[in-house]
Amino acid sequence: MKTKKFLLLSLLIMLALVVSACAAPTAPGVAPAPSDQEAVSDVEDFTTPHPILSDIRVRKAIAHCIDRDALIASVYPYVDDPSALLMDSFLPKTHWAYSGPYDFPWYDPEAGKALLEEAGWTGSPVRSNANGDILSLKFTTTSAQFRQTWSAVMIQNLAACGIQIIPTYAPASWWFGDTTGLSRRDFELGAFAWVGQADPSGRTLYACDQIPLPSNNWEGQNYMGWCNPTASDAIVRANNTLIREERIAAYDIVQREFAKDVVSIPVFQRAEAEAWSSNLTGIIPDATEYATTNLHEWALADGGDTIVIGMTQEPDSMWSLVSSMAAQRLVDRAAVGVLYSQYNYDFQPGLQGELSTLESGLATNEVVEVTAGDKVYDATGTAVELAAGVRVIDSEGNEVEYSGEGTVQMNQLTVTYKLKPFTWSDGTPGVVADMKLGVDIDCNPDSGATTYDLCNRIGDIATDVTYSDSELAMTIVWLPGNQYPLYHLYPFNIYPSQRVLSDGRVLADVPAAEWATLPEVAERPLSYGAYVVKEWNKGQSIVLEANPYFDGEVATPNVIYVFVADTNQAVAQLLNGDVDYLDDSTLGAGAEVQTVIDAAESTGNVQYEISASSTWEHIDINLATK
Amino acid sequence: MTAYLIRRLFQMALVVFVVSIFMFLLFNIAPGGPLTGLQQQQRRITPEERARIRAQYELDLYWPVRYTRWLVGWPTGPIVINGQEWFANVPLGCYLEATPAEGGGCHEYVYLSDMPRLHPPVRSSKGILFGDFGQSTVVQAGRPVWDLLTSRIWATVELQVISLVLSLVIAIPLGIYSAVHQYSRFDYTFTTAAFIGSSMPTFFFGLLFILIFTVLAGRVQEVWPWWPTLPPGLREAVRPYDVASWLTRVQPGSPIDRFLHLLMPVGVLTIVSVAAWSRFLRSSMLEVLRQDYVRTARAKGLVERVVINKHALRNALIPFVTIVVLQIPLFFAGAIVTETIFAWPGMGRLYFDALNRSDYNIALAFIYVTTILTVFATLLGDILYAVIDPRIRYS
Repeated sequence: MKTKKFLLLSLLIMLALVVSACAAPTAPGVAPAPSDQEAVSDVEDFTTPHPILSDIRVRKAIAHCIDRDALIASVYPYVDDPSALLMDSFLPKTHWAYSGPYDFPWYDPEAGKALLEEAGWTGSPVRSNANGDILSLKFTTTSAQFRQTWSAVMIQNLAACGIQIIPTYAPASWWFGDTTGLSRRDFELGAFAWVGQADPSGRTLYACDQIPLPSNNWEGQNYMGWCNPTASDAIVRANNTLIREERIAAYDIVQREFAKDVVSIPVFQRAEAEAWSSNLTGIIPDATEYATTNLHEWALADGGDTIVIGMTQEPDSMWSLVSSMAAQRLVDRAAVGVLYSQYNYDFQPGLQGELSTLESGLATNEVVEVTAGDKVYDATGTAVELAAGVRVIDSEGNEVEYSGEGTVQMNQLTVTYKLKPFTWSDGTPGVVADMKLGVDIDCNPDSGATTYDLCNRIGDIATDVTYSDSELAMTIVWLPGNQYPLYHLYPFNIYPSQRVLSDGRVLADVPAAEWATLPEVAERPLSYGAYVVKEWNKGQSIVLEANPYFDGEVATPNVIYVFVADTNQAVAQLLNGDVDYLDDSTLGAGAEVQTVIDAAESTGNVQYEISASSTWEHIDINLATK
Repeated sequence: MTAYLIRRLFQMALVVFVVSIFMFLLFNIAPGGPLTGLQQQQRRITPEERARIRAQYELDLYWPVRYTRWLVGWPTGPIVINGQEWFANVPLGCYLEATPAEGGGCHEYVYLSDMPRLHPPVRSSKGILFGDFGQSTVVQAGRPVWDLLTSRIWATVELQVISLVLSLVIAIPLGIYSAVHQYSRFDYTFTTAAFIGSSMPTFFFGLLFILIFTVLAGRVQEVWPWWPTLPPGLREAVRPYDVASWLTRVQPGSPIDRFLHLLMPVGVLTIVSVAAWSRFLRSSMLEVLRQDYVRTARAKGLVERVVINKHALRNALIPFVTIVVLQIPLFFAGAIVTETIFAWPGMGRLYFDALNRSDYNIALAFIYVTTILTVFATLLGDILYAVIDPRIRYS
């Protein structure tokens, strides 16, 4: 009897859930009647200055009170020189756009305490103000042990200055959720990491119009709510000019303002470690390029013909358009090819024989006149039709609002991208049709790509992209106003258009929606690189063999990537001689690194490199409150 | 018996259905999902791009619609009768959410007529009830889940069957001997070892084995030159390797290579199972040995071996059957921790990966099949009860 009641109750609950999920949808534009509470306040969430953190003296005091050397030592005890990981801006010191040092508040607890006194926060052990409010702040980050470790030290540091921190170690799924945590600015002090790139970009992080708010549907990544007009103008300018000197000058302004306002505390660059067998030579450790980019130069000193690389992750697909995994890139760079490389925060040519810079003559940036109805790239970075009220960056670099009449002068990039002659791994020469197929598929909305940002910067793919009859070259006329800083890099993939699939069809004839499901694309793509995928044993390994048509020497003919799932296991495999190389995403920077260091010192069978990663931990300070 | 079986089958179908709907609901209301961190990876993302990506994971559909599509592959588009489309304007989800400034709610609905465009058949499942588990969305994007399951299942079956057989072969005699010789020195030693074995987690033994037989093996060999260096993980090697001075160089893929790779994961699973099962059997045996009919058997003058093996063991094994039978789902589900530690390319590792990366199609297929196997294993256990114990009747 009880069982029947339980089943009946379960069915009723399920029915209720189904009904609620299928409830009549609310029509857009019809807002529900405001509750009493909502009716009282007309102020939008996160536009009210934070009662404590909007005071720059408190922010500076927080920065002064954090001993970042101690934080680094807590998570990287094997790093001899913590200063190599310290940052005073949002760019690493080795970045081309870094012009520091900047006057960021370093560890000086006495200076921090003095600032707090000046701001009216007195007393101990926890300071309070004249109103009796306690200097207590919520600190939110993920539950990762790494962050819990360094933040524990930080909390002690701040407690010593009289600042009480209430930590929340939330699941990453909540903190980085689509509609929760960080994206809803649900924090006071919030820690997470950004991955630095060769192009510093930063517009979505530091511009005034990139503050996520309910009214803009939480668009933007300026989670601090930082609106410094000088910095905002500079970051927009930095992303709308193609001249490196101008960019460096603009970024310099942003970094100075960033250090002055202390809206985010760059805690440290993460350390990253990679390790390899002493038998292996040719590794080029680098913060911004995948190690396997020069895999064809790796050699085994004992004359072995197979290099084994251990990875804790298995690629989700060999089609780089739909994958953003580091594990995929580690295989892809060797087994598909390298159009260009990005060592040391900069770019170098690969199959793209020459970077299409303005200086090379392959690109022009001309002033054109646009008028109402023309498609342009507006000041917010969106492709729109020019109409009254649209704000654009004119040819002088000024942001102007179009009146609806007359013309505006804007810059328009026209870039020719050339590839070196090459042959696919099946012996078919690369042709212009392969380049065209790349543009068509990468810009097809059915392909499943995560972004079509580059495609959206082109007015009409059919007319604005033209192809050469005599060489492997295409020319793109970008939308007026698009001053994409990476314009000089080949923007799309190339695919073997003539490849015949196992079902008899030719690749170029297959609809884009099917591409992700094709083994010839997702598992065994043809290559123009040093190697080609020979075999993919799911869950176990990917086997590469040398591409006989590669234009260059391959030092070791076979490579095997094995998937080991766990870092301890990976280290055991390395020490046992079963694998030759562990990249930084596999080895990480945890306790296993110490095992490798000990083994290197005791046996000499392995080598390692610890360097500053392009990823940096930081604490964002929310300047506003609900 | 037939009526019992029919009733049980009906209950099993209901249990599987309820589990599937609750699992689907849990996956959908839990925080996170495949889009977690997207904004961190891709710094600029417009509402339109977000909507398109959500649609790739079917997150634009209301979850009951997603559930029916997952279960039976329906709906796929408007119902066409005599060339006329019906219910084409029924909203099935929200493609583009409206901003709060627009009043919230939905800006652009997914109607039944939009389904072929937004969710084309090439990317849609025909329904798990029809044997189509759909496509992986994250772990192996675009590849059929079925292919992934079949690529992993034999590794898991190999590991589980061998460890099950070994566990039974070791645990049963140990449990019997310990019960028969209760409070002996062996019993105390065995009890202590069993407590250690059952109270320590599998990853402890896994890491311990790797430490002893791989990482520190070189140092041990300085004392005992015969000590083997075992491969720490994977199912087979990719290059020749040496184990010990007394064994010739092992070639990758050879039977000895496969055997050596099995040693440590099988060892860990066997230790844990033996520790628990032998204790269970010992208790069961002790209980039976105190029964009157055992005393009668001894009083009749039967040889002790016959009393133990024929009279006591058969009854002591009855509750043990439940434990053993419930191992059947593990042939599919695998051993998540052990497979992960030893990089064993089996189902457990796949499931772990799928959960970590929010690949719902793989995780749901895994749970669905495991549920079916569990209810069948329970039925099998009940039937075996009747076979082993003549007192039990289901009619």
